[in-house]
Amino acid sequence: MSGAGIRIEGLRKRYGSGDTAVDALKQVDMSVAPGEVVGLIGPSGSGKSTLLKCLGAVIEPTAGRMMLGEHTIYDDGWRVRDLRALRRDRIGFVFQAPYLIPFLDVTDNVALPPMLAGVPNAEARRRALGLLDALEVRHRAAAMPAQLSGGEQQRVAIARGLVNRPPVILADEPTAPLDSARALAVIRILNEMARRYRTAVIVVTHDEKIIPTFARIYHIRDGVTQEERGEGRSIG
Amino acid sequence: MNFPRIAPRAVVLVAALLTLLVLFGYVALRSGPLAPVPVTITTVESRAITPALFGVGTVEARRVHRIGPTAPGRIAELAVDVGERVRAGQTLGAMDAVDLEARIAAQDAALLRAAAIEREAVARHDYARSQLQRYERLFVQRSVSEEVLTAKRQEMAIADAARAAARGEVARVRADGEALRAQRANLRLLSPVDGLVVVRSADSGTTLVAGQVVFEIIDTASVWIDVRFDQSGAAGLAPGLPARIVLRSSGADRIAGRVLRVEPVADAVTEELLAKIVFDAPPPRLPALGELAEVTVELGPLPEAPVVPNAALRRGADGPGVWRLGETGVEFVRVTPGRGDLDGLLQVESGVQPGDRIVVHSARALGARSRLRVVDEIARSAR
Amino acid sequence: MISLAARDIVHGWGKFVFTGVGLGLLIGVTLIMAGVYRGMVDDGKALLDNSGADLWVVQQDTLGPYAEPSSVRDDTWRRLRTTPGVARAANVTYLTMQLATSAGEVRAMVVGVPPGEIVAPGWPPFLVAGRHITRSHYEAVADLASGARLGDVLKIRRHRYTVVGLTRRMVSASGDPMVFIPLRDAQEAQFLKDNDAVRETRRRNAADPAFDRPGVPGLLAAIDEAQGANPWVNAVLVTLQPGASATDVAQAIRRWTRLTVYTRGSMEAILVGKLIATSARQIGMFLVILGVVSATIVAFIIYTLTMDKLREIAVLKLIGTRNRTIAAMILQQAIALGLIGLVTGRIAATWAAPAFPKYVLLVPQDTLAALCIVIAICVLASLVAIRIALAVDPAEAIGG
Repeated sequence: MSGAGIRIEGLRKRYGSGDTAVDALKQVDMSVAPGEVVGLIGPSGSGKSTLLKCLGAVIEPTAGRMMLGEHTIYDDGWRVRDLRALRRDRIGFVFQAPYLIPFLDVTDNVALPPMLAGVPNAEARRRALGLLDALEVRHRAAAMPAQLSGGEQQRVAIARGLVNRPPVILADEPTAPLDSARALAVIRILNEMARRYRTAVIVVTHDEKIIPTFARIYHIRDGVTQEERGEGRSIG
Repeated sequence: MNFPRIAPRAVVLVAALLTLLVLFGYVALRSGPLAPVPVTITTVESRAITPALFGVGTVEARRVHRIGPTAPGRIAELAVDVGERVRAGQTLGAMDAVDLEARIAAQDAALLRAAAIEREAVARHDYARSQLQRYERLFVQRSVSEEVLTAKRQEMAIADAARAAARGEVARVRADGEALRAQRANLRLLSPVDGLVVVRSADSGTTLVAGQVVFEIIDTASVWIDVRFDQSGAAGLAPGLPARIVLRSSGADRIAGRVLRVEPVADAVTEELLAKIVFDAPPPRLPALGELAEVTVELGPLPEAPVVPNAALRRGADGPGVWRLGETGVEFVRVTPGRGDLDGLLQVESGVQPGDRIVVHSARALGARSRLRVVDEIARSAR
Repeated sequence: MISLAARDIVHGWGKFVFTGVGLGLLIGVTLIMAGVYRGMVDDGKALLDNSGADLWVVQQDTLGPYAEPSSVRDDTWRRLRTTPGVARAANVTYLTMQLATSAGEVRAMVVGVPPGEIVAPGWPPFLVAGRHITRSHYEAVADLASGARLGDVLKIRRHRYTVVGLTRRMVSASGDPMVFIPLRDAQEAQFLKDNDAVRETRRRNAADPAFDRPGVPGLLAAIDEAQGANPWVNAVLVTLQPGASATDVAQAIRRWTRLTVYTRGSMEAILVGKLIATSARQIGMFLVILGVVSATIVAFIIYTLTMDKLREIAVLKLIGTRNRTIAAMILQQAIALGLIGLVTGRIAATWAAPAFPKYVLLVPQDTLAALCIVIAICVLASLVAIRIALAVDPAEAIGG
């Protein structure tokens, strides 16, 4: 499950209607190739979160087009019926705070998305352990989230985002609570995973530490995206 | 792959839930209708029992002598008091004679007067007779007329009647005098028997009507117990049977006695038989009359028969029976209860055999499908 | 798929179990309440069962002998005994009084039974210790609940009675333990109050010029004697010959005597329907209140548990958990809480029941009913929490 990428054309989002209407997104055009990690940078109120929610299929855009690989998922209206399954199977989420489920251990936290998709428990856990291995937290597989350090939690969260092999991962300020070294480690992992699983990764951030690592950056200001070349500094 | 990853707290939780469930199961099975019924059992034996009859009676005296004056009067003095023993003929007291002596004197005077009248009548009679004899002779000599002789005869008859009347009057007046004298003799209250004064109902100075009781005297040797027995189970009660008497006042002391007689008339209202029980030996201290006495009469041993405790007897749908332990469970066996003794043993005439094991006590009413738990004693916790 | 509810319970088991046990105590109180009602009904039925009678013959137009006072001449039984269809007729007296036993004072119902026939109606149907009454006076069979033991001496009015046997669950309709004594003693006990009262009556009689006439010696004694006798009993218990119809025999007795007759069914209607109806309604109110309180507590607990997890629920939704799964998680937790509560409650109720002064009867039907009600309450209570959980916007998981 790889190699799709994400493309967004002319996406707009308007909150409210009439005189009080606010255009959060006016003109968003993005394109991320499989295996690529791009940064999405913008000041507060620029529309970052709205864009992320639209991408994450939790709010509905007003107009435009979104494509995951060859599939058009939005074209002036949702083109998929089950947004929940879309989120579950085709989009991975990594959050600012890890938001692990506190009552599940690390393995089951990671194994939950495939289980929700109907994968047998053993198979789901096998996949989870594989990913935990890849993310070097295998040794904490039986621990509860509260017993992990912040970096470990974030890696587990990344594993959870990846476990269903989604074509796209949305990372919302994944490094905010971390110090520089750990933040860079997370970005390195995201890059590695993007390459390994051919996943398109969008990292929403305003973390100065990591901005230089992106080869390509989208700036968003007042609901309009603008593509820039990044430094593409290598990590590590 | 390292699966079952069971956290220790999960183990604790499962253990706690299991404990809870086991407790729940125990509670469900050990209380309520599913629990086995605790019972005590016994073995039927063949033996003789001695039925006995228990009754309550009062101490009474067989003979009570009530002493009082025969004529109205006032009590002059009383010589004895309640609780004193008296002998036959002993003077208990005297009534005040009041005007009796004067009336006797008047009677004596009346007698003298009657005698004088009699003497006068005799004199008249003697004179009339001599006159009559003289005129009869003169009539024979034809010296008086027949008319005169007839008059003399009439005088003679009148004098005769007057003499008889005077004699009668003397007898009457004498008798009256004797009556008054007899009354004077009766002013003394005498004891007819050797006995004990139990009641003194008047004191000196009290005026009494004729026949009013002043003293009650009992014969202490004649004290007995008037006892009532419930009619049911009283068959066999007969004179001569030994009895054990417990007087209320003397607690557990048993006094030997025997049935003197069973009254031929029973009390139809209270459904009781009446009997009189006497002491074998007079009790050292005379019990108070009216004191309650519990009397147990042994009716004589019955021949051997299967015996069960009366607690084993249960009501069945169509008659009494007992629960017998069979090979598979308990079964209700109809029995015909016979007579029992006071200790709760009951002979049964049919239904069970010696050696049968039967249920005596049970914590609940039994049914054919009851599960039993045999215990020595059904504990108080069986509440 | 793993059970999210179970995992959550295992994770927060302390909170969960203690909440469950707390709820259990509440359910235990509810079950005890129901048990008290069952116990009252059972007391009434035990009274009827234990009396062993098919018909109760009482004073005309009374609800006697349990619900109202009733007096019947003590020779009435002879007439009844000859009624066709009657197997046995036995006098019985009931007198509720305060009784001093070795265990202290108890309220007891003194029952007078005719001596002699052990299986006659009115006699205790079974004993747990000792023997039946054999003497026609001064012996007693007492219920365990009175606290009496074998060999104890009970003072009832003017006489002392030796306890020769013990019964269990022989209670009056109001749950007071019974004490059986011979009928004649009981009649006397009912009438002769105590020595002081007897003396007082005699004094009054002596002061009454109509009774104490100088010219009629013995009149006063005769009146005292007559006043000391009691030819009344409270009821006649009748058992029928096999095959005889209770209603027919009752009809025959009603027709030829000036008495009221109750069958087992009508007696039960009096005891359950009239004597304990108000108490039953009272307990019913308590049950409703306890049910509402339990429901509120379950709803509150589930609500709190859910509110604590709103962030997790948002994440779950974001990663594609179905609403059904989330609702099931909350519902399962609610039901699990209810079940823990029920089991704890049942155990607590069983342990607590003997400590209650009155009989508490826990019947499996009540436990089953409680199970259904608890589950229903848990489902209802979790609805609020489920509504809130389903309203959670998965977008909340994505910051800003």
